[in-house]
Amino acid sequence: MRLKYLLAVTALMSTLGGTAYAQQNTTLDLVEPIAEYKIYVSEKLQQLVTDTKAFTDAIKAGNVDKAKSLFAPTRMSYEAIEPIAELFSDLDAAIDSRADDYENGEKNPEFPGFHRLEYGLWEKNSTDGLAPIADKLLADVTLLHQRITDMALPPEKVVGGAAALMEEVAATKISGEEDRYSHTDLWDFKGNFDGSEKIFILVRPLIEKNDPAFVKKVADNFNTVGTTLAKYKSGDGYQSYDKLTDDDRKVLASAVNTLAEDLATLRGKLGLN
Amino acid sequence: MNGSDDRLPPRSRERRHFLLGMGAAAGGALAAPAALAATQANAQTQDRAGNAGTQHHVTDAPTGDASTEGRWPFYGDFQQGIITPRPAAGMIAAFDVIAKTPKDLEGLFRMLTERLAFLTQGGRPPDLDPKLPPADSGILGPVVAPDNLTATVSVGASLFDSRDWLKPLKPRHLQRMTRFRNDALDAGICHGDIAVQFCANRPDTNIHALRDVMKMMPDKLVLRWKQEGSVPVIPPRPDGRVESARNFLGFRDGSANPDAGDRALMQRILWIDGARGEPAWAERGTYQAIRIIRNFVERWDRTPLGEQERIMGRRKSSGAPFTGTTEFDAPHYAGDPHGTVTALDAHIRLANPRTTGSEKNLILRRPFNYSNGVTKSGQLEQGLLFICYQADLEAGFITVQRRLDGEPLEEYLKPIGGGYFFVLPGAREPGDYLGRTLVEAVRAGNASPT
Repeated sequence: MRLKYLLAVTALMSTLGGTAYAQQNTTLDLVEPIAEYKIYVSEKLQQLVTDTKAFTDAIKAGNVDKAKSLFAPTRMSYEAIEPIAELFSDLDAAIDSRADDYENGEKNPEFPGFHRLEYGLWEKNSTDGLAPIADKLLADVTLLHQRITDMALPPEKVVGGAAALMEEVAATKISGEEDRYSHTDLWDFKGNFDGSEKIFILVRPLIEKNDPAFVKKVADNFNTVGTTLAKYKSGDGYQSYDKLTDDDRKVLASAVNTLAEDLATLRGKLGLN
Repeated sequence: MNGSDDRLPPRSRERRHFLLGMGAAAGGALAAPAALAATQANAQTQDRAGNAGTQHHVTDAPTGDASTEGRWPFYGDFQQGIITPRPAAGMIAAFDVIAKTPKDLEGLFRMLTERLAFLTQGGRPPDLDPKLPPADSGILGPVVAPDNLTATVSVGASLFDSRDWLKPLKPRHLQRMTRFRNDALDAGICHGDIAVQFCANRPDTNIHALRDVMKMMPDKLVLRWKQEGSVPVIPPRPDGRVESARNFLGFRDGSANPDAGDRALMQRILWIDGARGEPAWAERGTYQAIRIIRNFVERWDRTPLGEQERIMGRRKSSGAPFTGTTEFDAPHYAGDPHGTVTALDAHIRLANPRTTGSEKNLILRRPFNYSNGVTKSGQLEQGLLFICYQADLEAGFITVQRRLDGEPLEEYLKPIGGGYFFVLPGAREPGDYLGRTLVEAVRAGNASPT
């Protein structure tokens, strides 16, 4: 771990060295949080590859129940680092696109990835025909891991990722349209919020002194989200999205939009372009 | 018959048009509304050659018009609504066609032409026995005012593909719109056998026209989808300049549009002639690409201004490129090969790189902003009803969009609908009808290109 940390710092220093912001103290202060974030991303990606292997093995073994039980937990690591994964839009589309992205939806043979598998498992209650899609998903996830391991994370993308995660939830997740067959959306939410909060926590010491009111407001909203989601905890995971009450959905929607507004200022507050 | 040269729209919205004196007659846009209407009514017969160096951009912001009496000529070599200045309200309505035989199709085209000729020129619908439903919806009052309505009729690939007798006559680039990488196309708002673009000063005029066509032709046209849009009316500045209207991202849209008043240019980028390998019936037509492009406006509004400008390649406030001071200055990329001034993946640079050869990809854009309510997630469903015209769909919109695939702006956009259509040649005079050359080609069994 220690060695990995040093390598990450070195990689980041070399990226920052080539940019104009390197002169700014705030940006130098970001070296450590971003190096730590890179480790977080690496761990999530390793977890994602391991979990996806188990999930796709279950599909290829024709074990519908096991595959269903592994679907939501497998996705959580992806959801936590989605803004970084989206730096590779080809892979993001292959891994996590939805039926709406294709004309004629589920009937379209181009529809790939997690949600295509979800559709087969829940709507058809079967693994028939899913093996090639499972193989492709595992290959794509593995490739994503490689590509991100090899790259230096752009600071503005890391810091911007806190808000980007909230934008994703606000725009196309809060309605429960992401995991529309399995209704495991609350697991995804948890992954998205955790990923966003992680970034916030990492850079928080850099802004706390100058802007304690901002830090408190953001932390309070993350708390609101945490306590609201906790009501739906079930075992290691979460209840079905169907169980989310209208009132709690509104509380989450309001918190997520407020977080999106506030976290959108994070880059600027840290002097990033 | 009026020659095509007389069909240019009045230069009422000339860009960079500086009045020499407040009383100057040349300032159509600044003239009293009644006078403006009169000039538009007489557009066919007046010689309105403008000052050298003035430009007419269809995407200039509409300047407002208190009168509803303005009208654009319906008959002519080319259909109206393409190089006509864009008014405040637009609508696309896409239909499926009920026509089993060439005779059915001719009947449809004749009837549609008759309705549109009436609606665009205005008049009094017949008074019927009050025991009967009225002939007209009445939403514009007992007399239908033209209100600068234009109606532009185009045909989709499906019209040809589903009819053996039409198949051989399909324009060579006409095709069903397929998914680009950032698209999430909703089949319910895509494609169609026929599309009609209605544009007018007021949205009610477009709605009235659509309701008229639907009421009069239920046996021939089945509405498939429609999308309305608008552009803000901006009074000209004191110096007479007219700005480009802004889209819902807050940026000026259309600053670099080709000059629609330049006949030679329009002939080159818009109109089909005998040299393009198209079926002879298609001459004087043009291709139309329609895209309903949702904008994630909440997210955009939460994006740093500097990043918004980098993504677009223009200053938000003025619309100027980074190498200029006004929106009308052309961006210069020659001294910026690495994108240090204007990013290589900035929207305007990808859309039109201004390199040798890229002039072949010029398109005439004529979009409207749309606002449709609220999404399932509680966000605003709004964006751009993108409409563009070009003589070669492949070299035009499709090539430009392929260059834009993967652009940073994609994070804030989601194309969800639209389609590709071919705009029929104009109906030349009363008695002629839209689609005549196609119907005659079917009858002649003559499918060979010119």
